[in-house]
Amino acid sequence: MNDLSAIIERVRRVSANVVRLDIAVEAPQRNLQAGQHFLARLTESWDPYLREPWIPIRAQRSSVTIERQTGRGQQPYQPGQVVHLLGPIGQPISLIETARTLLLIAYDATPAALLMLADVAIQRRIAVALALIGTARSYALEALPPEIEIVRGADDGTWPEQHTSLTWADQVVAVAPPHDRSAYARLLETITQVRVEAAPGYVSGLFQPSLPCGVGACGACAIACQRREVLACVDGPALDLLNVTLR
Amino acid sequence: MIELTGGKQPLTLNNPVMLAAGVAGFGMDYSKLIDLSLLGALVTNPVTWRPRRAAGGVRVVPLDSGVLVHTGYPNPGMAALIQQYGATWQRSPCPVIVHIAAESAEDTRRCVERLAETGGVVAIEIGIADSSSPRDVQAILTAVTSHVELPVLVRLPLYTASILTTAAVNGGAGALTLAAPPRGTARDPASGQLVGGRLYGPWLKPLALRTVGQIAREVSIPVIGCGGIHTPDDARDFIEAGARAIQLDSVLWNRPQLVEVIARNLGGLEMTRMVGSFDDEWQPGLGATAALRVPPIPSPAPSVDP
Repeated sequence: MNDLSAIIERVRRVSANVVRLDIAVEAPQRNLQAGQHFLARLTESWDPYLREPWIPIRAQRSSVTIERQTGRGQQPYQPGQVVHLLGPIGQPISLIETARTLLLIAYDATPAALLMLADVAIQRRIAVALALIGTARSYALEALPPEIEIVRGADDGTWPEQHTSLTWADQVVAVAPPHDRSAYARLLETITQVRVEAAPGYVSGLFQPSLPCGVGACGACAIACQRREVLACVDGPALDLLNVTLR
Repeated sequence: MIELTGGKQPLTLNNPVMLAAGVAGFGMDYSKLIDLSLLGALVTNPVTWRPRRAAGGVRVVPLDSGVLVHTGYPNPGMAALIQQYGATWQRSPCPVIVHIAAESAEDTRRCVERLAETGGVVAIEIGIADSSSPRDVQAILTAVTSHVELPVLVRLPLYTASILTTAAVNGGAGALTLAAPPRGTARDPASGQLVGGRLYGPWLKPLALRTVGQIAREVSIPVIGCGGIHTPDDARDFIEAGARAIQLDSVLWNRPQLVEVIARNLGGLEMTRMVGSFDDEWQPGLGATAALRVPPIPSPAPSVDP
């Protein structure tokens, strides 16, 4: 864990409201793994006060690529801009050793948080499918690696050939909005109807609530699990949905 | 050296800068980011006699120049906490003050009795709830001070601090921490819900500073200023207003390095290197900051003519 300055080297527009930033980072922050992210601060002023979660989609030798949504009125990102990064935050997402097929699900959330994992899986010759459900359907498909099979779902949380894809997948990792735990509850219900006896670790959700501290000190990101509460910033973001108390 | 309590056992700290309850965790969560040994003390997150789970729903709402946080003070309960962190406190690079969220006089007394058997704790801070009356404060402190030799600090809520001060002083408080973060309500932009919780941010400073100034003039025990401190000048304003020491809160989350800067400034250890400056802008020998972290360059071996 480090709090270091980094420099935006390159800004690439991926779609109307998404850009990708290549950021030169110092050595301690290069060993980032899929699932880990940074808390970023772009300004010296106190507004915005909280750091924003910056989730890498790729880590290269001396830089990381971050995907950011851009909106109206927001200051554009510029090459040469200095950003203060706290991290890496959280634990790497572990792929099941024997997994040969991986189903990724983005439910009303950008799939960016899943892309680094998809890269790792592709390198390990794991077949990857990505279900884009709800608002995730508007994600720019051309920004995704060609090895990923895309499935476009509906607003109600379903997707075509749901039963087939869930029996096909050796592991499922989903991302949903941080404030909407019911999305994970609905997904889990759907999944457990197909996989009645899902093994531990079969289905994980990414929990990425707002993090005031990011180091496990403030307790604001506590997630209730069956045996104990865990901290999303320290133990997450990927948590076994079979263990999380979703209702 | 700062003497911080007027109680039966004085609390002496090397530096007037502490970390406030609720921001730094129970142990050494920030030890990788800041040099804790520079601090006067670290006050733990609030602990209760019984375990408390985290609050449900939205817990963090970003505000203009601030943040609203509603954690529900999750903690494993005093006995489990000591088991989990007792050894860490004993080897802590800075003194540890345990903050007890006073739910009732009886539970607070139990917490204090349990803590008195634990090593590595230099003082106790009792957090008084927003809804407490002077009678509640008196009852809690009477139950506590008769059972403990450790110095007892009392953290009062911002808006009722002046009403509760006399009860805290009469109850045997060794020092007053002014003040706990005030509570507010804000709409979470992501979920659309109204959320209540503790407020943090630089805008809080004038409110806390006024309270410190008013109460420090009235009481004979030391006052510790807390609320909205984000720069060395902020901290010095509290000292000028009558505080004997200060506690830093959310600045730790936002810019951990500033905590070191403030601690060095008030502790007479001013840095000579600008925060964020690059190595080639830094002349070794100007101060100890970088030299402490960079191993000395070995002198070249004397050349010997063949």
